[in-house]
Amino acid sequence: MSEAYAINTGAGVFFDGRTSARHPVHVMLRPEQLEIESEDGRLLAEWPYREIESLNAPESVLRLGRRGNAVLERLVVSDPALATALGERAVQLDRSGRVGRRQRAAVIGAGMLATLSLVLLAWLAVPSLAARLTPYVPLSLERKLGAAIDMQVRAALDTHHRGAQFECGLEPGKRPTKLALGRLLQRLESVAALGMPLRIAVVRRSEPNAIALPGGQIYVFQGLVDQADTPDQLAGVLAHEIGHVAHRDGTRAVLHGAGLSFLFGMMLGDFVGGGAVVIAVRTLLQSSYSRDTEAAADAYGVQLMRKAGGDGRALGVMLGKIGGATEPGMRILRDHPDTKARIAAIERLAPAGGGGMLLAAQDWAALRTICKD
Amino acid sequence: MSSSAEPVESRVRFLGQRGTYWRLLSRGAVLLVLTLGLYRFWLMTDVRRLLWSHSEISGETLEYSGSALELLLGFLVAVSVLVPLYAGFFLIALQIGAIGEWSGVLAFLGLGFLGQFAIYRARRYRLSRTIYRGLRFAQGGSAWIYALRAGAWWALTGLTLGLAYPFQLASLERYKMRHTSYGNLPGRFVGAGWRLFLRGMLMWIAVVGPLLLALSALTAAIDWGAMAGTVEQGGDDVMARIEGGNPGFGSAIAFALLMFAAAAVMAALLYPVFQAIVLRWWCSGLSFGDLRLDSKLRIRDVYGAYMRFVWYALLFSIVLALAALPALLALGLLEEKLPNSTATEAASVGGALAGYVIAMLGYSTIYRATVGFSLWQLAMDSIVLTGVPLLDRIEARGGASSPLSEGLADALSVGDY
Repeated sequence: MSEAYAINTGAGVFFDGRTSARHPVHVMLRPEQLEIESEDGRLLAEWPYREIESLNAPESVLRLGRRGNAVLERLVVSDPALATALGERAVQLDRSGRVGRRQRAAVIGAGMLATLSLVLLAWLAVPSLAARLTPYVPLSLERKLGAAIDMQVRAALDTHHRGAQFECGLEPGKRPTKLALGRLLQRLESVAALGMPLRIAVVRRSEPNAIALPGGQIYVFQGLVDQADTPDQLAGVLAHEIGHVAHRDGTRAVLHGAGLSFLFGMMLGDFVGGGAVVIAVRTLLQSSYSRDTEAAADAYGVQLMRKAGGDGRALGVMLGKIGGATEPGMRILRDHPDTKARIAAIERLAPAGGGGMLLAAQDWAALRTICKD
Repeated sequence: MSSSAEPVESRVRFLGQRGTYWRLLSRGAVLLVLTLGLYRFWLMTDVRRLLWSHSEISGETLEYSGSALELLLGFLVAVSVLVPLYAGFFLIALQIGAIGEWSGVLAFLGLGFLGQFAIYRARRYRLSRTIYRGLRFAQGGSAWIYALRAGAWWALTGLTLGLAYPFQLASLERYKMRHTSYGNLPGRFVGAGWRLFLRGMLMWIAVVGPLLLALSALTAAIDWGAMAGTVEQGGDDVMARIEGGNPGFGSAIAFALLMFAAAAVMAALLYPVFQAIVLRWWCSGLSFGDLRLDSKLRIRDVYGAYMRFVWYALLFSIVLALAALPALLALGLLEEKLPNSTATEAASVGGALAGYVIAMLGYSTIYRATVGFSLWQLAMDSIVLTGVPLLDRIEARGGASSPLSEGLADALSVGDY
């Protein structure tokens, strides 16, 4: 200690914070404070050691200020011996950098914890929050949302192939087919009692698929009609889609997506290459959530089919045939365990051989030609 | 250094070591991934502290007094402003009719305007956290007015295919510097737009010329009446039918592609020249009272910085490719053992994602440590001051400003160091 205290004076440069003038000064280390004295012996400042703070400076230089001082007084010390002596008297100067490293480690730890908690929030809280908020979205807003999505869906799916219209059955000669489709929907809708009108259309797409939009618009793809052997197989998929409308899954997905975008677009992921991480995490979280949604829509569909007097297992038969692809982007291989599990769940819910056909034979025959020239 | 012949008082130097900067950036890149980006406020503050404190003007270094927590707080406030705004744009987008259709444009313009606002306010924050010889820099003026001016200039620059850009830079820089001060010393920008215009004209012709040629070739080859009918009809085979209706179309497309490629190559080759010219012009235009800056930045030095980037990026690519080989091998083995399984799928997607993030962050870190660091160093070392005796007589003015808008700039991704 005695060695360290051998130095108690040295040279520095002082800026008084009032003008930019450079004052060469003597720095004197008193027991409780340091004193800054001009070359002509005037006392310029007295700083108690505990109030000194170390400020941003290059490694070779110690730049000091007084904590909480509104005037930006600065003392610049370039003499290493004086800097060391100062560091011993005012430990907060952290000359070894140990405190700074510990604080930074704490920041990094807290940052990782915050990241973890935001990810958990996205995983656990956002879906349930979206589900809680969905009932409060007015139906009028949901219809507007559906209309906006409808435009995008049409733009994305309509290929204008050889100038044919996107929607089937609009030609005057196709009226019976549209009526048959309407009757099939009516059988289900009258039982479902949704509180919002459903609209249905068969569209010219070769995939065996169907989609439901918020607000009650359902699109059945031509490929699905082609692959259905009985009206109930088509109706089973329709009932599943009505399940999505009844559960307001579209609106919930929009809210869910907005929540995830907020967490993974704004709070997190803002670094070079982060965009890919954001998309990957969002897709993962949304698809794991949509598996539950699909199961719920399956259960609803089976119940609806039974109440309407149809075959509850027809949906399962159809799923087996098309490999579970009732949603775009989820075209899973036929032997995928997910599809098998879905079929098994449907068979648990619906007794074998229940119900009759939901559509008369001539209506079904007409419906099957809805997209044929 | 070109400035070493100048007397010490008028010299501006950068004392920073590239190695320190490399370590800071690479550690930061790792922590950015681990915190999914939350660390960016600390990294940005560290970078500024390093750059500021190693910039020596007339024997004294700059001091950066901002803190990462200020940035984080400003960011949180900015987010709370932006979320209702985004929600509003979403609701507008649902409106049927003209408003709904134009909502995308409206959001683009609104956020662009806000981005310019944030750029100005972030500059104010940075300046008020910059201390030199115990006095602060400060920026007044109105960020709204700046954003309006910037919006109008961007529109003009867009309409003139970039020809108005030098005048935009000069005008906006004049506004910024007119409202900038160091103590009681008012800032000024004396760079003239037409000087930059004359220097940049040839470059503009070299890049935009091929693009215009390509466009005119395409326009000439197309029979517009038939084209409108074809597009209206729509379908999968539009391109085939366009080509059928316009016999010269194929060669016109080939020519256009060639011209686009030429423009891209020109742009890549000329970008360092452009950057050097703008940087020298900008540094030479700055002044505070009778204190004048003059820059002698050389184009070949800026090229050197870019060559260094290309060289390191090449090395990094080779290392990345070598590291990817065993990973691909392991994935192949996994595929063989467990074909079509979820684990294999997860491993391949996860591997691709990790590779992408490492590559992107790597290139960005290399760019910042080579080009970013060198530009700062070259610009600083190239500056010569006149009127230095004034530096002893400046008086204090102005206090610290709010970090809020720096947060806004970050939330809108328009922030920079």
